[in-house]
Amino acid sequence: MIDITEKGAALRAASEGRFNELPVHNPDVECCSRERIRAIQLEKLIAQVEWTYERVAWYRDQMDEMGVKPSDIKCLEDVRKLPFTDKHALRKTFPYGMFAVPLDEVVELHSSSGTTGKPIVVGYNRHDMDVWNDCIMRLVQMAGVVPTDRVQMAFGYGMFTGGFGLHYGLQRLGCMMIPAGSGNTERQIQMIQDYGTTVLVATPSYAMHICEVGEKMGYDWETSTLRVGLFGGEPCPPGLKAEIESRMHIVCTDNYGLTEVMGPGVSGECLAERDMQHIAEDHFLWEVVDPETGEPVADGEMGELVLTPLDKQAIPVLRYRTHDLTRVVTEPCRCGRTSARMQKVRSRCDDMLIIRGTNVFPSQVEDVLSGIDGVTPHYRIVVDNETGLDRMVVHVELKPEAFSDSFEEMDKFRKHIEKELKNVLLVASKVKLVEPGGIERSFGKTKHVQDLRK
Amino acid sequence: MSVQQISVFVESKPGHLSRVVDAFTEANVSVRGYSASDTGDYGIVRFVVDDPDRALQVLHDMNCAATKTSVLCLRLEDKPGELARVLKVLSSCGINVQYSYSLISTYICLYVKDLDQAEKLLADQPVELLDQEDFLHMTAGIA
Repeated sequence: MIDITEKGAALRAASEGRFNELPVHNPDVECCSRERIRAIQLEKLIAQVEWTYERVAWYRDQMDEMGVKPSDIKCLEDVRKLPFTDKHALRKTFPYGMFAVPLDEVVELHSSSGTTGKPIVVGYNRHDMDVWNDCIMRLVQMAGVVPTDRVQMAFGYGMFTGGFGLHYGLQRLGCMMIPAGSGNTERQIQMIQDYGTTVLVATPSYAMHICEVGEKMGYDWETSTLRVGLFGGEPCPPGLKAEIESRMHIVCTDNYGLTEVMGPGVSGECLAERDMQHIAEDHFLWEVVDPETGEPVADGEMGELVLTPLDKQAIPVLRYRTHDLTRVVTEPCRCGRTSARMQKVRSRCDDMLIIRGTNVFPSQVEDVLSGIDGVTPHYRIVVDNETGLDRMVVHVELKPEAFSDSFEEMDKFRKHIEKELKNVLLVASKVKLVEPGGIERSFGKTKHVQDLRK
Repeated sequence: MSVQQISVFVESKPGHLSRVVDAFTEANVSVRGYSASDTGDYGIVRFVVDDPDRALQVLHDMNCAATKTSVLCLRLEDKPGELARVLKVLSSCGINVQYSYSLISTYICLYVKDLDQAEKLLADQPVELLDQEDFLHMTAGIA
C-alpha cells in the first residue's frame, strides 16, 4: 500500500490506476449499485416532500395551487410534479420565511454574498450539520486528505458557506485546522512553513497568488510540506489547476456546492477523471433541465442543474434552479465510485454573453487560452457597442518568455490568439496583450467580464 | 562587436515606462540611449545600457516581459550627410534597417536581420563601431 501522506503519492497511484489504495469515505453509498442509490433517494424524497409540505407555507401554497400532494410522489420521476425554487423565492421570504424548524433548534446561520438586494439566508440544525460534514469528508478524501493532515484555511470565514463548511467537515475527519482566513499572503507562506501545513483551502486564484508570492520570497514549494490544495468559491479552469499543481508540487481538486442547497460538498472531484465531480446522491437528487423550458434534457446532455436536497431539515428546498450548466453521467467511475458524476460547472446560464447574435461563454475563452503557449490563464473580456456593433476585446496576459523584440512577431502572436478564439467562439474578437501580472487577481469570485454595452 | 540591447513589453498606460526606468535607477543601471514605440495598446521600449545583464535581471525579477537582442552601435562624425552615408552602405547591399535610434551625442543604434553581414560592411567604412565595453565609461556632450 502507498503512504498517501507522502507528497505526490496520491497522484502517482491514480496515474497507475491503483485507486483501491486511495480512501473512500462511505463506500456503502458512494460505491453501491444504481438500484440501491435510487431506492435510498426515493425513500428520502418522499419523507422530504412531506416534511416540506407540512412545515413551509410557501411550498404548501405552491403545491396546493398546482394540485400536488406529498402522496403523489411514488417514483423518482415524480419529482417533476413539484414546483421549482429560485433565488427570488428565497429572497422574498427573507430572513426566516423558509425555515421548517423553530429557530431554537438552528445552530448555524449563513448567507449568500447578496450582491443585489437582500442576501439569501440559510440555517442548519444539528442534523443538517452532520449531513454537511459527511459531504465534506467525502470530497476531501477524494483528494487524499487523511485525519493526520494539517489544514490551512485561506478562505474568508464570515457568512460565506465555504469557510466554515470545510472547516467543520475537515475537523470532523480529525484534521488539525489552522484558521488563517484569507489575505496577508506572506504570512500565509510563513504559517505553512512554521506549522508544517499539508493541505491548503483557497480559491484557485488565491492559491495561484500564494504560489507566485512564495516563489518571489524564495520559498521552495517542491520541498514544502504542502501536499494538497482544496479549491472552491469560483470555477477553476483546468489550465490554472495544472499550473498550480506543477508549480506548487501539490494535488488540487475542487468541489461544487451552493449556499441555497447547503454550501460546498454537493459534489467533489476524484483523481480518476479530473473534469467530473461525484454527486453525494444520497443527500441530493439531481435533474438536468433545458434552461428555457424547464423540461428534462436527454441522458448525458448539457443543461441546467436542478437540485433537491434529500435530508435538509432547517431549510428544505425543492428543485432549486442553480443556473449552472452541466451534464451528468451515471456510468461507474474508474475510481471505484458508482455515484453519478457532473461535469465541472464552467458556465452559468446568466454568464452567457450574446455577441452579435452568437452565444459566448467565458469558459470557452478560458479553454482556448489554456491551449496556447505563452499566455497565462488570466484574462478579461470587455464588451462594448460604442460603434453601434457589439465589439469584444479579450485582454490576455503575456508570459515573459513569449515576448520578442519585434512588433511583427508580437502582432503575429496576437493574431494567432484571435484566430484560435474565432475557431471556438465563432465570432471575431480583438485580443489585447497585457503585461505579465497585468490582469487583476481576485480572491473571491473572479470577475472576467466587463459588459459596457448600452 | 555587437551590443546587447534590452527590450521590454510595456502597456501604453501612465506609469508603466517609469516603473521600468525607476528600477534601473535603483539597480544603478545607466541608460545610454532608448527608443519607445507603441501600437496603441502596447509598446516595445528598447534600451542600450552600460550593464545589459544586470538590466535584464532587474526586469526579470519584476516579472516583466523583457529580452536581449544584438544590435549594432555606431559613432558618427557630427557633420551633415554622415547618417545618410552610413545608411547607404547598408541599403546599397539590400539590407533593410528594421529600426534605428540615436543614443547620446552622435551615437546611433540600429537593427538589421543579418547583423554579421552589416557589421562586415560597416567595418570597411570610415565609421566607428562600438562594443559593449564602450558604454561603460561613455559621457554625453562631446562630439
